[in-house]
Amino acid sequence: MTDPAVAVENLTKVFPVPFRRQPIVAVRDLNLRVEPGEVYGLLGPNGSGKTTTLKIILGLVSPTRGQTKIFGRNSTLVESREAVGFLPENPYFHRFLTGKETLRFFGKLCGMNGSRLDDRVRELLALVGLANAAHQRLSTYSKGMLQRIGLAQALINEPQLVVLDEPTAGVDPAGSRDIRDLIVDLKRRGITVLLSPHLLSQVQEICDRIGILAKGKLVCEGRLEELIAVENRSELVLENATDTLLKEIEKLAANSNAKVIERRTSTTTLERLFLDATKDE
Amino acid sequence: METQHRPFSPSRILAITANTLTDLTRQKVFYVLLIFALVLIGSSVFLARFSFQQEFQILKDVSLGAMSIFTSLLAIVATARLIPQDLEDRTVSTILAKPVPRFEYLLGKLLGVVCLLAISLVAMTLLFVMVFHTREQTVLGETMRQMSGATHEQLQDALNTIRANALRRDIFEGVAVIFLKASLLAALTLFVSTFATTNIFTIVVMVAVYFIGHLQTTAREYWLTQESAGWIAKTFLAIVALIFPDLQAFSLVDEIVAGAVIPLAVFAKTALLGVFYIVIYTLAATFVFYGKEL
Repeated sequence: MTDPAVAVENLTKVFPVPFRRQPIVAVRDLNLRVEPGEVYGLLGPNGSGKTTTLKIILGLVSPTRGQTKIFGRNSTLVESREAVGFLPENPYFHRFLTGKETLRFFGKLCGMNGSRLDDRVRELLALVGLANAAHQRLSTYSKGMLQRIGLAQALINEPQLVVLDEPTAGVDPAGSRDIRDLIVDLKRRGITVLLSPHLLSQVQEICDRIGILAKGKLVCEGRLEELIAVENRSELVLENATDTLLKEIEKLAANSNAKVIERRTSTTTLERLFLDATKDE
Repeated sequence: METQHRPFSPSRILAITANTLTDLTRQKVFYVLLIFALVLIGSSVFLARFSFQQEFQILKDVSLGAMSIFTSLLAIVATARLIPQDLEDRTVSTILAKPVPRFEYLLGKLLGVVCLLAISLVAMTLLFVMVFHTREQTVLGETMRQMSGATHEQLQDALNTIRANALRRDIFEGVAVIFLKASLLAALTLFVSTFATTNIFTIVVMVAVYFIGHLQTTAREYWLTQESAGWIAKTFLAIVALIFPDLQAFSLVDEIVAGAVIPLAVFAKTALLGVFYIVIYTLAATFVFYGKEL
């Protein structure tokens, strides 16, 4: 039996607050599993414990109770992060380095060097669309470019698990779409993705399963299509349907004890409208 | 899953060291302090217009004093910002989310500062030696010109007197002691910065430590020679001596400048003391940093 990519078992994290009797319970008795190859979205309002959970999984914060494992290895062990890539929320990196130097630095931390590292850096700069900005210092990068170099550093060691904390925060719709496409590409290559997104529309597009945290507790978990499906309803999208045809359909539905609840003109998404309007600019 | 991870990797430490050094050399404060030191050493040449013995002595005093203060300041200021900056920028999370042990991260940071100190000291020593050598040659030339009518023996005596006051090899031992003292201060600053909330706090604490470190030997000797010094005073002094480094032990450099010959055993003892402090403070920093929530 293969180990889950991420296993969180009875996890509780309590932050003591100086001079206050009541400590903050960031995560309570959390249990979740992320299977290899799936895209898992960890959702929740601000302060629900998402980032704390991700940090415990990455060994950056120690649990008060319980444990987390990455591919069967306890997160407290440094080697558990061997096959992991992490993009923190609003990453800042070292602004005195260029894009290329940044990737080389993180590659060396993962034990890479020589032509293997050079090739990987070149490949990733091309993948995230920063080949032309490779020799620019990060202090001159825009928010979207920083996010993309952040994603590239998370992928430098060809990880089996990628943890992304708000990967599209502060990025414009086009940049956001690029990051979404990169995540879809990771999934296609069998890489497990655990993300804490702030845009629910993106979760719907890319996540296989989701978990919703509220006040540190997992209040809902499952496969996305199952969770959002409305069991007794169906949708029918028609093109060039005349008014007469629509009336006929409504009549047929009524004869079968069904009911047409809503009839409206189809619309595109605002994101699609934005992308189409700006694609030639 | 099979692991290829090595518990200790010099190449990972080297990557963090190089990164830290790059960061520090791109800080403007470094250049300002360097210019300050260079101007100070350079100006001493023009300020010293006494007999050549006095001139050489002042030049050594001012130059090594400036080197000592500059490297101590640089060690504290450069180290104090490293960890708080990484915590604020969250770069520390990105680095430690890679298979990098926290000990290697701290060691890499410390070695980055130590490299900066070494580079600065080498640059200042080279400048100092060049300035001193130039002054020595000038004085030798002037003496030969002034004593053109004297006998060969008289001239040789005069030249030998000048050379005896010039730079001796043990001045480099003095530079090594300055380096050790600055490295010790860097290690202690790193330790303080692992629990400090701001780098201003770290700098203030370190300035206090600097003065206590220099004064504690004198205070200890004074108190312990008093007959009234009871066990409370002795215990207190023992604790102070344990927590604060005895920076007076590194005053060897003053003796070297004054012309004293330092036995190798004394130099080795001082070097060992410096290394001991550096190891202790680095271990203490690691202990605190391992418990830190990032």
